[in-house]
Amino acid sequence: MAIHERSLVEPERILRKERLVIDGVDVSGDWNLIILPRVIEDYDLSFLDEVLEQPEGKTILQCYQCSYCTASCPVHNYWDERYNPRHFIHLARLGLVDELQKRADVMWRCVSCHKCTHRCPKGVLVEEVLKAILRVMAKRGLIDEYPSKKFDKFFLESVYEYGRIEDGELLFGWIEKQGYQVVKDPILKKPIPLFGGIPEWLKQLAMKPIKNFNIDFLILNAKHMLFHPRTKNWNRFKQVLRKVMEEEGVFSH
Amino acid sequence: MAVAEKMRKPPMGGIGKRVAYYPGCSLEGAARAYDVSTRIVAKELGLELDYLEDYNCCGAMETKNVTFWGTMLLNARNMSLAKKQGHNVIVAPCNGCSFSLQRAEYFLETDKKVFERVNELLKEGGVDPLTEIPHTYHILEWFYHEAGPEKVRERTKKPLRGLKVANYYGCLYTRPHFYARTYSHTGTEEQERPRMRETADDDEHPYYMEALLEAAGATSVEFEPMHTQCCGGPHSLSDEQVSEKFVMMILQTAKRNGADIIATECPLCHASLEMYRHRLMMKGVPDVDVPAAYFTQLLGLAFGYSANDVKLKDNLSDPLLVLKRLGLA
Repeated sequence: MAIHERSLVEPERILRKERLVIDGVDVSGDWNLIILPRVIEDYDLSFLDEVLEQPEGKTILQCYQCSYCTASCPVHNYWDERYNPRHFIHLARLGLVDELQKRADVMWRCVSCHKCTHRCPKGVLVEEVLKAILRVMAKRGLIDEYPSKKFDKFFLESVYEYGRIEDGELLFGWIEKQGYQVVKDPILKKPIPLFGGIPEWLKQLAMKPIKNFNIDFLILNAKHMLFHPRTKNWNRFKQVLRKVMEEEGVFSH
Repeated sequence: MAVAEKMRKPPMGGIGKRVAYYPGCSLEGAARAYDVSTRIVAKELGLELDYLEDYNCCGAMETKNVTFWGTMLLNARNMSLAKKQGHNVIVAPCNGCSFSLQRAEYFLETDKKVFERVNELLKEGGVDPLTEIPHTYHILEWFYHEAGPEKVRERTKKPLRGLKVANYYGCLYTRPHFYARTYSHTGTEEQERPRMRETADDDEHPYYMEALLEAAGATSVEFEPMHTQCCGGPHSLSDEQVSEKFVMMILQTAKRNGADIIATECPLCHASLEMYRHRLMMKGVPDVDVPAAYFTQLLGLAFGYSANDVKLKDNLSDPLLVLKRLGLA
């Protein structure tokens, strides 16, 4: 017997017998598999309320579970079947929080390509809703610090500090966060590409402008790495950003 | 939200020859080539870019996952600056930037509370509050509508003859329709796609880049459905396995369909393609050696500029080799 919705059935609930004889009748082959029923009693209805409180989460109620989003999703199609936006929305609305938690290892994988949002016939902002669900999960401590969140925060720090980002700092800063050893100059404490324990591919790419004698490109990027581009009069605006972000609890979790 | 969506009026008519130009952080650093070549193409096509002074980062696809209000503020500040410079239209060359600005536009227009709160906060931060919300367009849309293939053909001095191009649009150029307004599910059949804006590209089968490059003499290869497949985007550094697979699919499709080069229109997609192309080649994966160039670089070449003018050396995937082989650079 085939099992539909395999993701809903844990392996320990599946009983399968080689030979099954009931009342003297051999029924193996057709009826040799039993799925033990489960009882769900942990519906947490406040979870949905919290998603609805987020400005992006408001459209979650419009979903009618057609699965257009899942059918469009590249992460579902090309990477991991368990990544299923439709199902996540379903679980969040039912308040099956521990089911969501079981999927925490794939839930962060959304690449924000917005195919789901674009194709949704009901006008659900699917990508935004999923991010709202993730945020509520993070607030409740249901999901560990996942890589993309670390990167988001790292990115935000740079924007918050200077008003602008700088590619070199972002790349090498992230590489350093991954545990690679990045050599820095002693005075300004800025990373020097080409040396240290950075990955081989990055070394080779960093060598390319040098091999090509692309002098003005090197100078421009070195200048940006040494003196981070800034937005003028940023400090006053930064105070407002800080206030808003404190209210949202960005600094606490 | 659904009611508010109906109230929303799309910008109709042309975009205008003179617009506020929001380059975004990347274009002033590693993606300098895109900035330089964009300015060249705009000049050749008789369009005027007014640099948005003292802009800040749009937050890209990252900050929105952490802070909703912070991201709204970042974009509202840029909008306010554009208004101050007397523009009602912002043009961004980066998919991420145009997405962020259009997203802010959506929430500001559909949610009164957001609009009021953002204006209060802007005042507090010493920026003029918004009275009217400027519209954001991708630069490709602007080139197509204010100049178009005819003008490109007229300006072409050195046609890109024999160059087979795979046109890569990336995710957020036409998606999602809520923000990019390429399509709307709401509305009656008599008023066909009423919430769509006049200048928008086709949502699932974009063709603007293809039309411009073909006018410049290039040949387009079949590239569906990879032309709008994600390159890993915001996860290109934080989720390497997924990004690598996506880029592999894009590059292999291009190569197997006979492309010499991939034309890009977003600095993030471009960087992601180049970075993973190198890594895939180091691993010995077959059919991934297609180089990438910005579509403006290719147009610049067709308009008679040299490879040095459009900074082809900046591209880490060496498109110069292919272009030299075909006698185009």
